[in-house]
Amino acid sequence: MRRISQIVLPLALTAAVFGIWDLVVNVFTIQSYVLPRPYAVFAQIGTDWDVLQPAMWQTIEEFVVGFFVGVACGFVLAVVMGESRIIKRGLYPLLIATQAIPIIAIGAALVIWLGFGLTPKVVIVALIIFFPVVVNVLDGLANVDRDTLSLARAMGAGPVRIFLHIKLPATLTPLFSALKLAATFAVTGAVLGEWTASTNGGLGVYLLEQNSRLNTAGVFAAILLLSAIGIVGFLLIAGAEQLATPWRTRPTPRRLPFRRRTHVTRAAPSPQIKGESS
Amino acid sequence: MKLRAENVHHNFGATAALAPTTLEVEDGEFASIVGPSGCGKSTLFNIISGLLLPTAGRVFLDEHDVTGKTGRVGYMLQKDLLLPWRTVTQNIVLGASLTGRVTRKDKEEAVALARRYGLGEFVDHYPHTLSGGMRQRVALMRTLAVHKDVMLLDEPFGALDSQTRLRMQQWLLDVWHDQQRTVVFITHDVDEAIFLSDRVHVMSARPGSFRASYDIDLPRPRSIELLTSDAFIEMKREILQLIYSETLKQLAQEGEAA
Repeated sequence: MRRISQIVLPLALTAAVFGIWDLVVNVFTIQSYVLPRPYAVFAQIGTDWDVLQPAMWQTIEEFVVGFFVGVACGFVLAVVMGESRIIKRGLYPLLIATQAIPIIAIGAALVIWLGFGLTPKVVIVALIIFFPVVVNVLDGLANVDRDTLSLARAMGAGPVRIFLHIKLPATLTPLFSALKLAATFAVTGAVLGEWTASTNGGLGVYLLEQNSRLNTAGVFAAILLLSAIGIVGFLLIAGAEQLATPWRTRPTPRRLPFRRRTHVTRAAPSPQIKGESS
Repeated sequence: MKLRAENVHHNFGATAALAPTTLEVEDGEFASIVGPSGCGKSTLFNIISGLLLPTAGRVFLDEHDVTGKTGRVGYMLQKDLLLPWRTVTQNIVLGASLTGRVTRKDKEEAVALARRYGLGEFVDHYPHTLSGGMRQRVALMRTLAVHKDVMLLDEPFGALDSQTRLRMQQWLLDVWHDQQRTVVFITHDVDEAIFLSDRVHVMSARPGSFRASYDIDLPRPRSIELLTSDAFIEMKREILQLIYSETLKQLAQEGEAA
């Protein structure tokens, strides 16, 4: 039941938005260059698919490569900063500065340095998304209970084991919060990258072209596909989160069919799960 | 002598956290330390476990000097500190995965411990499915599973409600009886200290040191009825009087200082 409402409700709401949109255009007889009717947008996607499809793949490429580069850089930076207070003190103001500079402003410089290819767009996407990753992962590392670290040291653990078994897993939950934000920011990053450092290809470029021709249906076609990329990205990450952090939602780990268990356990026991049994 | 902390003391900067203190614990003994909060009980444990280097004094385990060496004793705190991403079994074998490799034997032993002590149905569960008492039991199994003769328990039941606490105390006595370990137990609950221990050490106010030690000659195995017996109450009166006079002294000192 919950599953059904999880899928049906958003779909119904989306349909309602399109319905209201269509109604508004009809009732107020809005010109199609101001706001096209929804079906005109879908028709545009159909007729211009030959152009839209490669443009979409290009934007997806920028999105995916930029996403992984940004996340990897952000994660490594956070870990280094988490392990060394001096590096953290020195780097944090610089990181904030990178976020204060308008990306559009860097775009021009990036074209001079890196040309018009994939690289400047990847850099822009990565620049936008690495920051939430750094901030969240640092928070995760800082929130590791000091007593847990003491306990591990009292057990005789060295810094490497403590990092692998205690700190690293503690970053997973905040990391995925950051990734979900990043998935949506990354689309914006890809479009900004195309606007500042592109001459051809990509949905952002397509959007600008259609805009200059007053073909608003084309603009909305690009917007629709861009949001689709963001939504699919978000869903993939949410799915990965479920797999990577099963303890947040499940009482026991998933049973992996290919992994041999060392012992047999009974299925989930009595309903009185929190009762003391001695 | 299994464990001997000889004249250990510790200063944090100018403040003395622990005055020179000597603690001796026999093999297989259950020793408790009671004292007012902030008297340096946990500092003493941090020194014995090797987490903290004493300003002066040495710690001997089986007559070997282990001052400042970690990994020689089991250590358990008031917080269970179970890792949320590890199942009960994986939490029990934490010591092995932090210091070496988790072998099949380690896992089997962890499951056996969980079964033996009433958590058999939960071996594959994450800690968030367990109650506070169950979580503390897992924490104690984790301490048992590191295979150290001496276990330091720092107010392990301090966060539990009084009924769960009574059950946990009896359970701890069972575990101690089966496992033949030496236990040093910190608490501020005099009843708990007398009920569990062979010997109770009373600590003075900060900077703490031992004011007196009492041999508890009450028969074992001990049950709840003991808590209301005359011998128990006599013991409790004596210890409480000492603690009360310590508290008065501390208040007087603070009064003079002000």
